[in-house]
Amino acid sequence: MRRLLLTAAAATAAALTLTACGTTEPAADDTKQTAERITLTDDTGTKVELDGPAKNVVGTEWNVVESLICLGVAPVGVSDVKGYKTWNTAVPLKNEPKDVGTRGEPSMDTIASLKPDLILATTDLPPAAIEQLRKVAPVLTVHAAAASDPIGQMTKNLDLIAQATGTTEKAGTLKQQFQAKLDEGKKALADAGRAGTPFAFADGYVVSNQVSIRPYTSGSLLGGVNEKLGLKNAWTVEGDPAYGLGTTDVEGLTKLGDVEFAYIGNDGDKDSNPFTGALAQDKVWTSLPFVQKGNVHRLPDGIWMFGGPESMSKYVDAVVAALKK
Amino acid sequence: MAVTATTPAITASAVRTRTGAAAVAAALVLLVAALAAVDITQGTAAVGAPEVWKALTGRSDPADSSVLIASRLPRMTAGLLVGALLGMAGAALQAVSRNVLASPDTLAVNAGSYFGLGIAAVTGVSLPLLASSGIAFAGGLAAAAVVLGLSGLGTGTVRLVLAGSALTLGLTALTEGLLLLFPQDTEGVYHWNQGSIAQHGFDGVLQVAPIGVVALIGLLLLARRIDALALGDDAARGLGVPVRSTRVTAVVLAALLSTAAVTLAGPIGFVGLCAPALVRPLARRFRGFTRTRGSLPVAGLTGAALVIGSDVLLRALVPSDVAVAVPTGVVTSLVGAVFLIVMAVRVRDTAGSTAPDRLRIRTRGVFLTTTAVLAVVLVGVIIAAVLVGDSKLLLGDVVNWAQGRAGRTVTFVLDTRVPRVLAALFAGAALALAGTLIQAVTRNPLAEPSILGVSGGAALGAVLLVTTVPLAGTWSVAGAAFAGAAGASVLVFGLAARGGFQQNRLVLVGFGVATGSAALVSLLIILTDPFNATKALTWLSGSTYGRNLTDVAPLAAVLAVGVAVAVMRRTELDLVSLDEDTPRLLGLSLGRGRFGFLALGVLLTATAVAAAGTIGFVGLVAPHAARALVGRQHARVVPVAVLLGAILVCTADLVGRTVIAPAQLGAGVMTAVIGTPYFLYLLVRSRR
Repeated sequence: MRRLLLTAAAATAAALTLTACGTTEPAADDTKQTAERITLTDDTGTKVELDGPAKNVVGTEWNVVESLICLGVAPVGVSDVKGYKTWNTAVPLKNEPKDVGTRGEPSMDTIASLKPDLILATTDLPPAAIEQLRKVAPVLTVHAAAASDPIGQMTKNLDLIAQATGTTEKAGTLKQQFQAKLDEGKKALADAGRAGTPFAFADGYVVSNQVSIRPYTSGSLLGGVNEKLGLKNAWTVEGDPAYGLGTTDVEGLTKLGDVEFAYIGNDGDKDSNPFTGALAQDKVWTSLPFVQKGNVHRLPDGIWMFGGPESMSKYVDAVVAALKK
Repeated sequence: MAVTATTPAITASAVRTRTGAAAVAAALVLLVAALAAVDITQGTAAVGAPEVWKALTGRSDPADSSVLIASRLPRMTAGLLVGALLGMAGAALQAVSRNVLASPDTLAVNAGSYFGLGIAAVTGVSLPLLASSGIAFAGGLAAAAVVLGLSGLGTGTVRLVLAGSALTLGLTALTEGLLLLFPQDTEGVYHWNQGSIAQHGFDGVLQVAPIGVVALIGLLLLARRIDALALGDDAARGLGVPVRSTRVTAVVLAALLSTAAVTLAGPIGFVGLCAPALVRPLARRFRGFTRTRGSLPVAGLTGAALVIGSDVLLRALVPSDVAVAVPTGVVTSLVGAVFLIVMAVRVRDTAGSTAPDRLRIRTRGVFLTTTAVLAVVLVGVIIAAVLVGDSKLLLGDVVNWAQGRAGRTVTFVLDTRVPRVLAALFAGAALALAGTLIQAVTRNPLAEPSILGVSGGAALGAVLLVTTVPLAGTWSVAGAAFAGAAGASVLVFGLAARGGFQQNRLVLVGFGVATGSAALVSLLIILTDPFNATKALTWLSGSTYGRNLTDVAPLAAVLAVGVAVAVMRRTELDLVSLDEDTPRLLGLSLGRGRFGFLALGVLLTATAVAAAGTIGFVGLVAPHAARALVGRQHARVVPVAVLLGAILVCTADLVGRTVIAPAQLGAGVMTAVIGTPYFLYLLVRSRR
């Protein structure tokens, strides 16, 4: 044991000598001032002041990243880049941003090293972490979702991000396009005699041989879009106050009755698609009325269910295509 | 501490045992059947008792009958099977090790199986159930082999449980770490951690059941030899029983049983420990249950009743859609914890206090060298922790920062990194000191804040406050943690104090409270904030993420007080840790001193948990290691343990932050990964 300790001490001493002195960054000098200051109030009620439209932006959650990309701002840092590339191919990254860690615990160090002029965060981050991020750069914190008004929250976030990045014009266009897409979709479904169709969207995952199913209630973003399309949300389970997501199992699907059922899976994550995998042989699943009638629709992979207007527009296309068949 | 299964007292009632035993067995079967019948009427589909009755009379709607056949019946069968398998595995392990604490949980069999499955999940290989069961078996058996190998077959039961608990913590942490590398899967952490009996059809049950049957037959064939082991190794050998091979075979078969359960439903905690414990008082009354052939099936039945009863309870108490999200294992842990605590208090504790560990007396020189070396290592670790991270810094940066002249990036990196390093340092030191105090007071080598449930109580208090008051401040979180820790300690030490901290009782009650509070923390997070993996990580496995200097302040204050008190009252600590009589002879008021030290230990634990979540292991490893290095004198143990604790957690935090950067692992996960091998090394070394 003593020899071990001595070795450790020696190694430490050596390390100390090696790292001694030197800096990775020159000592600070006075920062310059620019005109055109932007002042915003975010969802936490904090005043965010920017010297000008933000260019170097880091996003800690994928929905704000998607909004940024739609607005034509390439983020310099994104949480879990690999995950984003797997789950959001509807709005692909146009550059190679730095990976800043997981969405739940983005790395402060990495974010700081990117020297951003704006950090986009959501209230899903612990308040203490947001407090720390404020020391690096102005932080715009938004509610990632609100079950009381899912589409309203999405456009509100888009507007805030647009103001911070000086792209309000682009945001206006995006909102118009999205509204047009919704109207167009609603008309297409009505023309196909699908208005008021009971519709249930869910995703599911397999963990240790067990299937969990997540219903998207009317409080979810997709649920909100479904209602705008004139569809009737068939879920009766209660969703959480932010994302409008519920939990259920295969049995719980028997309460849906005769509906149109849609889901998004992912080929890059085999556990995310129980509907054609683990459930294919399940008697409860196969005897569900909508499964027997073939009213189960797999929508294209890569539409991020919690994304922004672009993902939602692709979702509208997908739903219309599925139901017009 | 000799943890021995209580030898059954043969009384006059032994005469009518055969019929009595049969009656008890029949009553158990009835209970299980009734619970099972209730279970199939519960679930998310609108299939209740009337629909079940219609199905029985053949007038059922096809949709209802498919729910019954493909979902309810398999779930019910799986619950019964898993409970029975775990109950029998626990009974067998307790019989061969003559240890009431032995179980698939404490011998790391469950953790090993779980780890095997975790590796299989991470490598992304999609395996059929039986193949994954093979991997789980290999993992479980390997873990059991390591535990039994290290502790030495048949020697030292304490060592067995020490090694087993250590390996369990380490392996669970490793598995969690592995699963965390897959961000989309983090919500699965709870589900993986705590098993669930839900099934899709009978495939799983049908594939796993034969494994269980084979293992059960094996154990029944071996039953006579196992019974002989109860007489002691020498007596058994005298009867011509091959002690070693009997034990090895029985452990392999028990591992097979629990592997089958883990493969089917994930780790369902506490059943293996609890079911045999419930059978034991029966065995005292009915001789039929003292023999393995009788006790094994009864333990199986009891296990089945526990699992299916927990499932029934859960579905009766919470709305069906919420019940889906709560793993069965959480409920068995809660139910099991309550039972275990009640049992532990009622069971007569036969173990006296142990002889102090035989350790060489160290010279003053050894102490001074060790302390000096540790101090240097600590400084090195601190420097490394400050410099190394996602962005590497150099010492010049730190100098600039200290003088307030650093650039923006360096300033920020250090502003966030320094509080984390401090939180880790102080939490480690505080937990080590708390462990030292509690081990001294209870004279129990297993005593440790997290194993005794003090950390769990603190986490529960903090999580309760954080969930009800979203913007709770630092001091109020620390206060809530203290309230929780105090509540847990009053429960644990209060219940164990009857008859002066009897060794078995203390650890059993502590185990119960620890598991129960961890299950409650999981339950609270699942029910209030199901998608918040960060919160779960912080309170279930310790994390220094997002700490700032104000979070560290309460901890620093308490630590300073703690060290001062421990140093001032070092002689009293020495005396208290010696034995029951010496302090009394010297006229010391044992009760008050003990209470003071315990309260201090609880306070230290609570503030450490409030600052960095539940970090296990430190309070166990640091004092042990310190005593091994410098002897038993507290004047020496305290500084060395505190230094070791700080080094351990700080290193763990450093590694956790850097090894998969920019993603991060909780400090608690890394502490267990680093702590386990060291602790096992310590065990091996002390065998000589």
